Formats: sequence, structure tokens, C-alpha cells
Amino acid sequence: MNLKLSVLIALALSVISIAAWELYWRAQGFYPTLDDNEALWAMQRHRVETASGNDVLLMGSSRVLFDIQLNEWQSQTGVRPIQLASAGSSPLPIFHDVVQNTNFKGTIIVGVTPGLFFSTTAPQAQPWKWPQSKVDYYKKRTYAQISNHLLSIPLQKSFAFLSDDQGVDGIKLKELLGKIKVGNRVPNPMPPFHEFGEIALDRNTVLKNIALTDTAYANSIKKIWIFFMTSNKNPPDKEGTTKFFITDAEKFMKRGGNLILVRCPSSGGFKEGEDKFLPRIAFYDPLVKATNAKTYYFEDYAQLKNLTCPEWSHLSASDARYFTTELVKIMIKDNALPNSKAN
Amino acid sequence: MLFNSLSFVVFLVTVMILYYAKLFSWTNKKRMLLVASYVFYGLWNPPLVILLWISTVVDWIAGNKLSTEENPRKRKLWLLFSMTVNLGFLFFFKYRNFMLDNFTSVVNSYGYAYHAQPMDIILPMGISFYTFQTMSYSIDMYLRRTERARTFLDFCLYVTFFPQLVAGPIVRAQDLISQFYEEKKATINQFVWGLFLLTIGLFQKVVLADTLLSDTTDSVFGSKNILNGLDAWTGTLAFSGQIFFDFAGYSTCAIGISLMLGITLPDNFRYPYGSIGFSDFWRRWHMTLSTWLRDYLYIPLGGNKHGVVRMYSALMITMLLGGLWHGAAWTFVAWGALHGLYLVIERMLKSKIQIKINAYNGILLALLTYTLVNITWVFFRAREFSAAKNMLYSMLSMHNGGEKILQSFDILKVFVLTSLLFICHWMMRNTSLKAVSEKISPWVLGIVWAVMFFLIVISQGSGEQFIYFQF
Repeated sequence: MNLKLSVLIALALSVISIAAWELYWRAQGFYPTLDDNEALWAMQRHRVETASGNDVLLMGSSRVLFDIQLNEWQSQTGVRPIQLASAGSSPLPIFHDVVQNTNFKGTIIVGVTPGLFFSTTAPQAQPWKWPQSKVDYYKKRTYAQISNHLLSIPLQKSFAFLSDDQGVDGIKLKELLGKIKVGNRVPNPMPPFHEFGEIALDRNTVLKNIALTDTAYANSIKKIWIFFMTSNKNPPDKEGTTKFFITDAEKFMKRGGNLILVRCPSSGGFKEGEDKFLPRIAFYDPLVKATNAKTYYFEDYAQLKNLTCPEWSHLSASDARYFTTELVKIMIKDNALPNSKAN
Repeated sequence: MLFNSLSFVVFLVTVMILYYAKLFSWTNKKRMLLVASYVFYGLWNPPLVILLWISTVVDWIAGNKLSTEENPRKRKLWLLFSMTVNLGFLFFFKYRNFMLDNFTSVVNSYGYAYHAQPMDIILPMGISFYTFQTMSYSIDMYLRRTERARTFLDFCLYVTFFPQLVAGPIVRAQDLISQFYEEKKATINQFVWGLFLLTIGLFQKVVLADTLLSDTTDSVFGSKNILNGLDAWTGTLAFSGQIFFDFAGYSTCAIGISLMLGITLPDNFRYPYGSIGFSDFWRRWHMTLSTWLRDYLYIPLGGNKHGVVRMYSALMITMLLGGLWHGAAWTFVAWGALHGLYLVIERMLKSKIQIKINAYNGILLALLTYTLVNITWVFFRAREFSAAKNMLYSMLSMHNGGEKILQSFDILKVFVLTSLLFICHWMMRNTSLKAVSEKISPWVLGIVWAVMFFLIVISQGSGEQFIYFQF
């Protein structure tokens, strides 16, 4: 047994095959990206422990994640917000965690996406389970997990094939095997799903440009929204979610915290569905009244109300920058951000 | 720290550099290994290193006393001291809530409305492994089967040696401590073979267990409904593969890493799904645990020296406790009971029927053994008896009306993979990986190695836990 020869062959072939794999995926249009995973979220959550009264936390679902741009916010206020929003999630578990487990009394912006905010307080329901899993991960993460993530960042930034994306854009072995179909034993009505965001280390996120330039791509995302809107058989739990949120909101404001509710833009079929099934007058307005928080609803402002989302739910990168700039201007004018540099 | 993690890569490279650089004497290298082992464990939960220290100090003291004390009563007390502390830790951290739940159920069945407050206790990783390992030292010292460790450092390293600390193999003192007395250095062939074993172990864990099988297992055992028979069998077969690749993968990694340091660990798995019968299975599955249970439980309970009834009782008790060792739940006890029952029936049949094993009936008997082992895995994997009952109903009746949850490709994937696993175990049952590797061309070995490494890299294991860490 000539093990030395074997290891040299293995080494050479490994380097060649991995390089070829990377080049292949780059040729297919993939490029290195960071994963929006629990570890990345936990890095931002950790910053809250030392955040001051001047700091701003962003919470909500993907609309806050995509539509509020940290650079624009920072350039106007001098403060770079901490991005804690979580895609497909109710903001309630994360807001609850910050209110109950920290002494933070700066500004918290809570994005209200009606279909998610008012969805549920059931621990096993997806809009609750996803953000709660992030909170739990943060509480329980080990030093080994922290170091693994820190070590993975330069690799994620260097190699396109190191992607944790799922669905049609998934390229790790499990995802590639998942795309092989033999027959249709169990029908899956869910349309193909694209990962349409690009996230940075501080979780600043933008909609991929392809959603703006490729109509078919944007339409595939719209089909997902239609699927979610039509397949969700659970009625919203308006009373339960509102009550849960108000309890935390009162505690937060009582200790001097500045709470702001924001309704980010949506358009097309998504907006029509929201207006029909979760109308502002029945959901958002009573919430605002009950919390007594400052509130910004995009349709109330001439400069924001005509923004259009290419895939109905998130603004393009340039529109998100515009939206953030204008929103912050309005907030500063209202003196809603008491500790911003403009004040 | 997990073997399939980036921090472990950095950790291992650092340890290897420090170990092979001519910076330290052998004693200092052992100190370095000890510190590294504490770092390895502490990066998961630093305060729980204290438990390791207590366990180490207690057994060191007990071992020293047992080596010099001649008074039988005092010797018994020192042994009792060691076992009380070790089993006390195990009981408190692993079985407290289980016992409390059972106590509550019994009390309430008599009409009391007792509500116990379960404690939110973290289960220290690998506590069952290192507890059994340190206990074996004290018991062997008591039975004068082994010599006292020469130095405290050697003993600490025996308890804490990082490759096998959290999931075995469970090593006896005489097999490991004596290796620490002389300077150890792997030959180039040992080092490369160790690296090869590490690659195989990671391939088993990351690619076969986590990428190819775990989702199917989770879907099937996570279902609340009565499943279609095909789905239930697929899920169970997937779990049989997953748990083997997960656990054997860890052991192979541990043996490989240790060999890279020039230290030999015992085999823990020898192609168990190629077993003919259950005695054979337990000589091949988790061998270091089954020999531990044989030497420290089955034989002290009477073994096969005191008649049939005592032997069967000892067998059942050993397997029941072996089941409980795996987890604080009655489903694990049922798993152990089923294996105990298989062993008892097998011995009864063997005493009445003599079968000459050949290649034809052998593979059929191996297939029968594997099928029956799969039945036991249902109890091992199901979290509740109701789930196990539903699964067994679907499997045994080949229930056609149950819910279908798996795609055809997933079923095909699991059947192909587990069939290959079974055939591979059958073909390898009388040989070893080393023997096979020696027969094939270095080019073929190199290509197989590269393919495994490539698949590990493109699978991108997300650092999921090894199943046996929870035991």
C-alpha cells in the first residue's frame, strides 16, 4: 500500500475538482454571497447588549430587511441601525426578546407586514418559529458555533459554491439531489422559489438586480406570493398578536424606549390581497391606536406612495435607498428620532 | 466542537503543529494535548469542564486508594465512592427529569394532583461516555485488572483525550494510559492512514448521514399521521443508515485523529449490518460499549455461569440498562428490551437447532437480522410509543391507505443506499478496510479519497450534531 502516492493523488484531484466546481457555478452566473442564517443574525443581536439610547434597531419581516438601507439611514442620522428583521417572520418574538431580555431603550423600528404581523402567536407556526429559532440560537450559541461562523465568513465571501441557498438557487449537494424528480408521488403545489436578496455582514440587504431586469424572474416570485396568499387557510389572529405586542410595547416605552411602526410599500396583487383580507382600517389602525407609538404608513406620504415593488413585496435597491432617505427625512422632521445627529 | 466544523480544522492543525514541532518534551506535549482537550470540550460549554475535572479527581483518588488499600471493606467503600459520584452525575444530569416524570405519573395514578417542576438542566455532552470510561478504571483497579496510572497527567489525559472524549470509543485504562508512558509519534503511513480514516468518517457523517438520509428520517418520524407502509419502511431504513453512518463516522474520525498522533484506539464498529444473529450484531455494533456492558454488568450479574434462567435474566437486565444508557425515555428501554429478547430467543434456538452457515443461508440470515434490527430502530428513533406504534403498524401491515409523504426519488435513494450498505457490510464482514486498501492500487485509493473529499466539500455540512452526543 503506497499511501503517500494515494494522498498526493487525492490532494491533486481534490484541488482540481473543487476548482472546476467553483468555475462551473461561476459560469452559471453564481457568485460568492453570505448566508442569511441564524449565526449572522446572532452577530447583530449581540450588538444590542451594548447598544446605547442613541442606537436604532430594525425589526420586522423581509420588507424592513430589503427596504430600509443602513447606509442611507446612517448618512442622515449618524447612526447605523442594527438590522434584526427576519424574512417570512412575525416581528413579535424578536421584539419580545429585546424588550424582555435587554435594557435597550433607544429606538426600535417595527415593520408591519400585515400578513405576518397579525398572523399568529402559536409557537409552531412558521412566522413565529423562524424568528424564535434565531432568538433561541442566540441564547444558546456556543463558542464553537461563534468561531465556526467567523471562520466561514471569508470562505463564503470567496467561493460561489459555498451557498446555503435553498430552492431553485440551491447548489449544495442536498439541494441538487432535491431537484431530481422521479414521477410525482406527492404533489408539491409550491412554485419554484428563488433567493432574491443579497445580504452583507451587517445584514444590510438588497433585492437582486435580476428581479428588476428579468420579468420572468420577478413573476416567479409573484407566483410564490400568490401561493402563500391562496394556500394559507389559517385566519389572522388579530386580537392575540395585538395583545402580545402591546404588552411588550408598553414595557418598552415605559422604560423610555422610542417605538416606531412602519408600513413598507407593497404593490400589485400583494397589495390588493392585503387591502382585501387585512385592510388597514381593521388591522393596522387599531394597532397604532392601541400602542400609541409613532407610525409611518407609506401611502400617507406623497413621496412614498407611488413606489412600486418589482415582485410586489420588496423595493429595488435604488428605490429602497430612496425610500430610506425620504422616510428618515420625514421622521427627523417629526422629531421621531430624538437622538439623530440632525437633531 | 464538532469534527465536521471549521473550528475543528483550525484546532486540529494547531494541535498537530504543536505536537510534531520540536518545541516540547513528551510531558509537555501531553500537557498540550490535555489543554487542547479541555478547549475542545469547553468551546461547547466552558463551565461543564468542571464536571470533567471532578470526575477525573474522584477516580484518580479512588484509583490511588484502591492500589494501596488491602482492607476489603475499605476497598469496597472507595469503589462505592467512585461509582456514587460518577453515577450521581449521570443520574442528575441525564435521568433526573425522567425519574421525576415517572414518579409524578405513579403518584398521580393514586389520585394525587402532584405537579413536579422539571429542572431546565443541560445535558453535558458525552457524559455517558466519559463516566463509563472513568468508572471502568476504578472497577478495574478494584478488581486488580489494571495498574494505577503512573502520573496524574496520564490519568487526566486518559479521561479527557479529545478524539474520543464525547462519543467514544470507550477505552479501557490499560489500553490507553499505557500508550501515554512512552513518546508517541505516528509514522508517515500511520499519519496518512489516520487522515484517510478521518476523511471516511467525515464522508459517512456529512454526506451519507446528513445529506442523503437525515431529511427522510426526519420527515417520516416527524409525521403525526399513520403513514403508507412504503414511507414507513423507507424512513426506518433511512434511520438505520443514518445512525450507523453518524456514529461509525464519529468513531472512524476519532480513531483516525488519534492515529495521526500515533495513538491507537480500538475499533468500535465492524460492519454490523452484515451480522448473522444478534450476538454477532453486538460483537460488531458499538463494540466498546457492548464489551463494557458485558464486563461490568452482564458477567457480574452472573453471565452464563449460573444456569439458563440467571443467564437470560442477566442478558435482559444488561440490555434494558443498555437501552436506558442511550437515553432517558421508555422508548430506549423498549429498544433495549427488544434486543434482549432477540438475544434470549437466539440463544434458545441455538441450543436446539444447529445451522451450518454458508454463503447462501448466511446472507438470508443476515438479511433477517438486519430486518429485525430495523424494527428496534423504530423505538430508538420515535420520541413516543404512539409514534412507534403507528410506524410499526404501517410497516408490518404494509398499510396502503396511509399518508404518502416521500417522493419516489427519496424512496429510491434510501433503498439503493441501504442495499449498498447491507451488501458492503456482508462482503466486508470477515475482512477489514485496511486489508482491502492494501489490495487495491494507490491510484484507485487516491481517486476514491478525492471523490469522498469533494463530496464532503460540496455537501457543506452545517455542523449538525452527531446523534450520539446526546447519549
